[in-house]
Amino acid sequence: MTSVIEVKSLTKRYRDTLAVDDVSFAIEQNRIYGLLGRNGAGKTTVMSILTAQNFATSGEVRVFGEQPYENTRVLSRMCFVRESQKYPEDATARHAFGMARLFFPRWDQPLADRLIDDFQLPTKRTIKKLSRGQLSAVGVIIGLASRAEITFFDEPYLGLDAVARQIFYDRLLEDYATHPRTVILSSHLIDEVSNLLERVLVIDRGRIIMDEETDAVRDRAANIVGDSAAVDAFVAGREVIHRESLGRVSSVTVLGALTPADRARLAAAGLDVAPVSLQQLIVRTTQHAAGNGVGESAADAATTEEGALR
Amino acid sequence: MNRTLNVVRLQLVNKQTYIWVPLIVLGGAFAITLAIYAIIAGAGAEGPMYGGGAQAPLWYFLVVGIQALTLTFPFSQALSVTRREFYLGTLLTAAITSAILAVVFVLGALVEYATNGWGMNGWFFVIPWVSESGFLIAGLFYFVVAMLFFVIGFWSATVFKRFGSMWLTIVLVGLGILLVAVMWFIGVLGAWARVFAWIGAQGVVGISLWGVLVVAVLAASAFLTLRRAVP
Repeated sequence: MTSVIEVKSLTKRYRDTLAVDDVSFAIEQNRIYGLLGRNGAGKTTVMSILTAQNFATSGEVRVFGEQPYENTRVLSRMCFVRESQKYPEDATARHAFGMARLFFPRWDQPLADRLIDDFQLPTKRTIKKLSRGQLSAVGVIIGLASRAEITFFDEPYLGLDAVARQIFYDRLLEDYATHPRTVILSSHLIDEVSNLLERVLVIDRGRIIMDEETDAVRDRAANIVGDSAAVDAFVAGREVIHRESLGRVSSVTVLGALTPADRARLAAAGLDVAPVSLQQLIVRTTQHAAGNGVGESAADAATTEEGALR
Repeated sequence: MNRTLNVVRLQLVNKQTYIWVPLIVLGGAFAITLAIYAIIAGAGAEGPMYGGGAQAPLWYFLVVGIQALTLTFPFSQALSVTRREFYLGTLLTAAITSAILAVVFVLGALVEYATNGWGMNGWFFVIPWVSESGFLIAGLFYFVVAMLFFVIGFWSATVFKRFGSMWLTIVLVGLGILLVAVMWFIGVLGAWARVFAWIGAQGVVGISLWGVLVVAVLAASAFLTLRRAVP
């Protein structure tokens, strides 16, 4: 596999905050990545530095082996429409697509037209009069129809209803199958996008805390459910990242893949194994990391942080 | 180069900003000025009439210069346009539209001479001391003035984008204080007469070339500011 993006020790400091903290990772060609994390974790900052829209305080970014800043060769192969993208005053969606067509060598107009239909986007209304969902649709259409070799989607679903979101996921996969490219999808709706993702990068407080294959992540933990005493006996000596109890029943999330011997033991003890959703696992590990750092209990964090992650 | 020319098309995709609104502003100012001239002439006033109405589209160029940056720059970044391509393409757009405006002014002045001020000695496009220097020089002058307005707007907007409104205000106030200080200094030296004599000696060509210098300085500093601006 070839890396199309390589990032080494990337740091971005704003006056009083560290938005990105010594981050290193690589993105391989023609795969779909999830850049996951809470609001303000640094997702947009990382993407805008990769596309040379923003500047690193220190560290190195290579895209297609080159520096992206002021580099037409590299930039013309990337597309990044940010979540809060600004458009020219009085431009309509039709104008915006006409402009995008000028700069993306692989722009596909029939695809754009089809997506306009799919999202029922009014193309003659000025962009500043569009609803939040329609605004997101404009960004999504530019991202998909540009067919850029590296395409970033920054929280692309904001304001889109469930039907429109499904259209986006379906079209993305369809077009990806016929025109493979590298896709980086930033999201905090982790479960909704988890089926699309081949690999996840989780960013928390400016640091990458997980960089793994989606399947491997799913196997990393399991929920053990059953009689509290039996659950406690089983999880003894394992790393527990979450625990819930109701009466005499406990549900405990443990890290580590279960061996066949483990499964036999669970069956014998009458305990159930429930899969952990990607979102749950990420929420729990994020809290776990935060909890260890600040010394607060994971249970306290659960109520506040789960809500914030939405 | 191709992408730089595409920036011109990007700026012109919405023809309203660069073409229709300036023409409406110019046409509106022209119609209003002529109507006022007609009222004055109808009242039996003699002598040539001049108005400042032709300035109107120039002020609009200031606004266009600001909008070219604040509204189009962020989108150009989403379209993976480099800052250099955006900058060159935008200045080229300004040059093209300023040239169109200059041609309109020169043609308007020609018509005014031919009709002796629309038959009522009323002058809109003609500025005597400029128009008398010949059409080419007058055209150059109008072109430079339009570019100057555009670049002032564009430069202010880059400073705003890069450093924020507080620094833009500080810089503008600073320039104002500097200007007053220079005026005070000229007064102290009792040199106002010499200053005006010098300006008079420059002629239209000289003033236009000084304008080109100011445009170049502002444009260059706008580029240096834009190089590190974030959309």
